[in-house]
Amino acid sequence: MALLTGTGLIVKIVLLILIGFSVVSWAIIMFKLFQVHRANSESVRFMDFFWKSKRFDAIASQVDRFASSPLTVLFNEGYGELKKVVEGGGVSEGSALSTDLGGVENVSRALRRATNSEITRLEKYLTFLATTGSTSPFIGLFGTVWGIMTAFEGIGRTGSASLAVVAPGIAEALIATAIGLVAAIPAVMAYNHFQHKIRVLIKEMDNFSTEFLNIVQRNIAGK
Amino acid sequence: MNSRQSRADTGMGVSCIVSTVIHLTVFLLLLWWGKLFPVNMVVQETYYVDVVNLPVADPRAGSPVQKGNEAEISPPPPVIPPREMSLPEKAKQGATPAKPDAKTAKSPDANADAALDERIAKIARSAEARREEAVLERLRSKLKTSGSGRSGMPAAGGTEQGSDYTAYIQSRLKDAFRNTISYSSKNPEMIVRLFIDSSGKLSRRVSERSSGDRAFELAVMRAIDMASEKFPPPPGKKLFEGVFVFKPQGITPTRGK
Repeated sequence: MALLTGTGLIVKIVLLILIGFSVVSWAIIMFKLFQVHRANSESVRFMDFFWKSKRFDAIASQVDRFASSPLTVLFNEGYGELKKVVEGGGVSEGSALSTDLGGVENVSRALRRATNSEITRLEKYLTFLATTGSTSPFIGLFGTVWGIMTAFEGIGRTGSASLAVVAPGIAEALIATAIGLVAAIPAVMAYNHFQHKIRVLIKEMDNFSTEFLNIVQRNIAGK
Repeated sequence: MNSRQSRADTGMGVSCIVSTVIHLTVFLLLLWWGKLFPVNMVVQETYYVDVVNLPVADPRAGSPVQKGNEAEISPPPPVIPPREMSLPEKAKQGATPAKPDAKTAKSPDANADAALDERIAKIARSAEARREEAVLERLRSKLKTSGSGRSGMPAAGGTEQGSDYTAYIQSRLKDAFRNTISYSSKNPEMIVRLFIDSSGKLSRRVSERSSGDRAFELAVMRAIDMASEKFPPPPGKKLFEGVFVFKPQGITPTRGK
């Protein structure tokens, strides 16, 4: 406690900034852990349900059970676009789609758009973790350098350079670097972890889009 | 899509609150860590010998007396009865109770020699008696002294100016102050009056004057707290009162009772 109270104004401001970074970083880490975990688990459950179901309308009626999965968003977008193509394209129910498969292209674009929006949603706040991981040590270092400068200035004024006089100032200054590292290390670790998890989810979304389009195309070709 | 975003932001708000609570908990834990889990460090007892004020004793007085060890003091050397100085052979012959003979009668020279020998023996006896008396007197005074009990100060009462108790307290304070010293002004100074009760416990400390350097004041108070953990009882089980001037250069006692 004495280390914190004994520091100068600039070092105190640096410490407050770093503590703020740490608080927000940990909030993002907890939120992302929850979000990614639910997205993964519900995606697995949704894929099971998807392959067991025979009809898109049956899946669409149950899709709210898997609201946290990004795949449900893709399905909703793709299914919605498919319905629009079927209803708005002048094609009557039960008849074949246009022969150039323009409807499939529309569904593909809708799925791509939904994938992009889901990637954006999943990667939201991760930039803050990257920023914390890269800048916190430097902010802490700035506080340390400033604290050491102030300590040496004080030593110069008093004219005493014994260890007992020098050491407290240095210790007070070094706490800024310590807190900077405390904020940065979890942020970097979490950033790398979430990047990996989100990359896996993106692959799953790509695979789901491909499967969805294949089903649509098979159905059109079969008609 | 909008409903999904709004739900995500709500989750983020909850996470922020939880994160703040965790940070506060960790901060308070660090703050009270020392109180919750006190570090039990074994501090080696340091003995101080006030070399400056060490009285120079008579080399023949023996080693300083340790208080409470009176029983172990060696007894005074046995008093050897003064021996008659042996007279020269010639005098002995002269003292032989032989029948006086006219020819062998004492000459005036022989009588003078005998008188001289007698006087020399008398002086030697009195010198020996004086020396023994001095040795006995010294031993008696040694047994009577109520010194501080610490080696190096056999006769000090602990109440004299610059005596070993004040010097001892000063040394302890100086030692503790070396570990706590911190200041932010140019020439900080603080004068503190310390009251130590008969059991060696610091009963009161009064800041008499300070230069206003808060960091220095805290360092002085920490040093007093650290040093006061191991104060011995004052000599004679009397209340000790001392005024010490704390400066970055050191500690000096101004007066003590």
